[in-house]
Amino acid sequence: MIEWSEQHLAARDAFRRFIDAEIRPNIEDFEHNGVPPYDVLRKLIATFGIGEMQVASFRARLDKERAIAAGEAEPEADKGARGGSGAADAAAMQNLLVIELSRVCPGMVTAMGVSQGLCVGTLNSRGTLDQRAKYVPELLTMEKVGAWAITEPGSGSDAFGSMMSTCRRDGDGYVLNGSKTFITNGPYADTVIFICKLDDGDTPPDKRQVLSFILDRGMEGLTQSRPLRKMGQHSSPTGELFLEDVRVGPERLLGESEKLSYRSGARDTFSSERSGTSSIALGIVQECMELSIDYARNRVQFGQPIGQFQLIQQKLAKMEVARMNIQNMIFRQIELRKQGKGMSFAEASACKLYSAQACMEVALEAVQLFGGNGYMAEYRVEQLCRDAKVLQIYAGTDEIQTSQIARDLLAE
Amino acid sequence: MKILVPVKRVCDPDNANKVKVSDDGSSVTSDGLEWKPNPFDEYAVEAGLRLNENAPKNEKLGETVVVSFGASDVVQTMRQTLAMGADRGILVQADDAELDSMVVARALKSLVDAEQPDLVLMGKQAVDGDSNAAGQMLAEMLGWPMATFAMNIATDDGGKTLTVGREVDTGVLTLKVTLPAVVTVDLRIVAPDAVSNGVTPADHKYNDGARYASLKGIMQAKKKKIDQKKLGDLGIDTGLTTTYPKFELPPARTGSCEFVETVDELVDKLHNEAKVL
Repeated sequence: MIEWSEQHLAARDAFRRFIDAEIRPNIEDFEHNGVPPYDVLRKLIATFGIGEMQVASFRARLDKERAIAAGEAEPEADKGARGGSGAADAAAMQNLLVIELSRVCPGMVTAMGVSQGLCVGTLNSRGTLDQRAKYVPELLTMEKVGAWAITEPGSGSDAFGSMMSTCRRDGDGYVLNGSKTFITNGPYADTVIFICKLDDGDTPPDKRQVLSFILDRGMEGLTQSRPLRKMGQHSSPTGELFLEDVRVGPERLLGESEKLSYRSGARDTFSSERSGTSSIALGIVQECMELSIDYARNRVQFGQPIGQFQLIQQKLAKMEVARMNIQNMIFRQIELRKQGKGMSFAEASACKLYSAQACMEVALEAVQLFGGNGYMAEYRVEQLCRDAKVLQIYAGTDEIQTSQIARDLLAE
Repeated sequence: MKILVPVKRVCDPDNANKVKVSDDGSSVTSDGLEWKPNPFDEYAVEAGLRLNENAPKNEKLGETVVVSFGASDVVQTMRQTLAMGADRGILVQADDAELDSMVVARALKSLVDAEQPDLVLMGKQAVDGDSNAAGQMLAEMLGWPMATFAMNIATDDGGKTLTVGREVDTGVLTLKVTLPAVVTVDLRIVAPDAVSNGVTPADHKYNDGARYASLKGIMQAKKKKIDQKKLGDLGIDTGLTTTYPKFELPPARTGSCEFVETVDELVDKLHNEAKVL
């Protein structure tokens, strides 16, 4: 794939029209007045028939898996048929939605991505058929909001090593304890994937099995904090979760088996999370670049538009290089999907590292290009610059990406 | 019912600052413009789709055919209306310079003769030329009843007639037209309850405005048929009755802004300086 198709662009234009009508005029409410993003995201998903399409394909896949689980042979045609142009088109349109939303409210993508990507993705990869059937459809339409809780006050990059949250066996169920922080959608989530270690009284903490549980809003002992104040991504509510002796039955243990360690599958989750970051970066870069070009053409200093000055031209040229590179990374992801493949862990890390750094650089240059105006909230680049920073931190910091790329290169 | 909806491609008003006049003033250049369906035509497509569907059940009750004129890349604009839900398209290939309201009306008549629709539903005018003429000319040529500036439409008598509310200066003028007919629509035709077809329940509320194409609609649009014909092959009189001797851009605005202290001062300036009062 070397460019978007006519169909992709039609979808992009439709998304853009919706976003311009429903989100841009209310940006102040979402970014500064604490209006949660969920109603408008729900409307977006319903308007374009996205939820409906995803639920239909989810149910079809689930039925197939049930049939296979019941002993039926997998149809030959389905084996290895994950790719194809349909899958590529779906991936392209999903990317375009993320890009277009990120131009205006990157935080909304974070909120949606955690619910539909991380939470649903984890349920699909680790849940039993019954657990998936129960929780996934309402998350796909965003009738319910999902959260994915791994980070703790004392555990960030070293997510499993320093993890303090525990589950203890209690009859045939469990008792959960711990506190989580920086949880996207935490304050409003209806469904929470809670990741913790099995405390059986004997095993030392570093050897303990990592398990995950599905929690519902309002369960006894579960407290969801108010949104935390943060630097950017204000349209994405982030909070803390506190669990005090939350009692759950075995049906809430993801996969319904203690043998299913979270450590082993985490890479897949991280990998998809990482490759999604490029689209957010591209949206921010595109918006910053368009605003900067317009400003360079029209802002007059020393008797001429500032675009005539070579130092301004250099900034614009750097932005274009970043835009091309990130877009090509996304095209590669889509092309891989067409072939039924995904990026390797190290490749996804490399894309995430580059996209996040390039995006931050572009956003800072855009603020600089706008001068005093760029520092003012009235001009859009101020928000985009604050929003960009988290791309270098969440889903694995730049430093973690770097070490993982290197580890992969040095592996023998 | 079978509905024919002519859709004109116009330059995106948001990019209107890019409109340029050729050096000799003989034409408006379209280089670098972005295109979109004429908004009033998009509203006509929406009204046509509402007339032709059972909305809650997502069932089709009739065929909606879009027609456009222009270069072969106009199909991209047409696909947007197919993605909204129109069933197929007809593109009459022609240069913009070969078209005026009369030629378009004659060409539409020949398509109506071939397609035999129950209703031709059009935008009241295109936002580029603002002629507001093709619909009226077409009704005259066909000898069909006509209702212009429709702000609401309801089917009656089992689909044999339409009751149309026309938005006129003094209020709403309601008429009944017997099908087949030509109806041109105004912007309120996309209000949530502006169209009633007797099948979609009366309490069904549409979203305000023309619908967004769903992703499924966008994917299906690629497969929908667009018949291409040549203007010269329609067998009509292609002589222009309107010609444009010269184009010029309006004088550039000065952009000066002055704050006044009192209402009296404002009235004085509007009266004596701007001479608009």
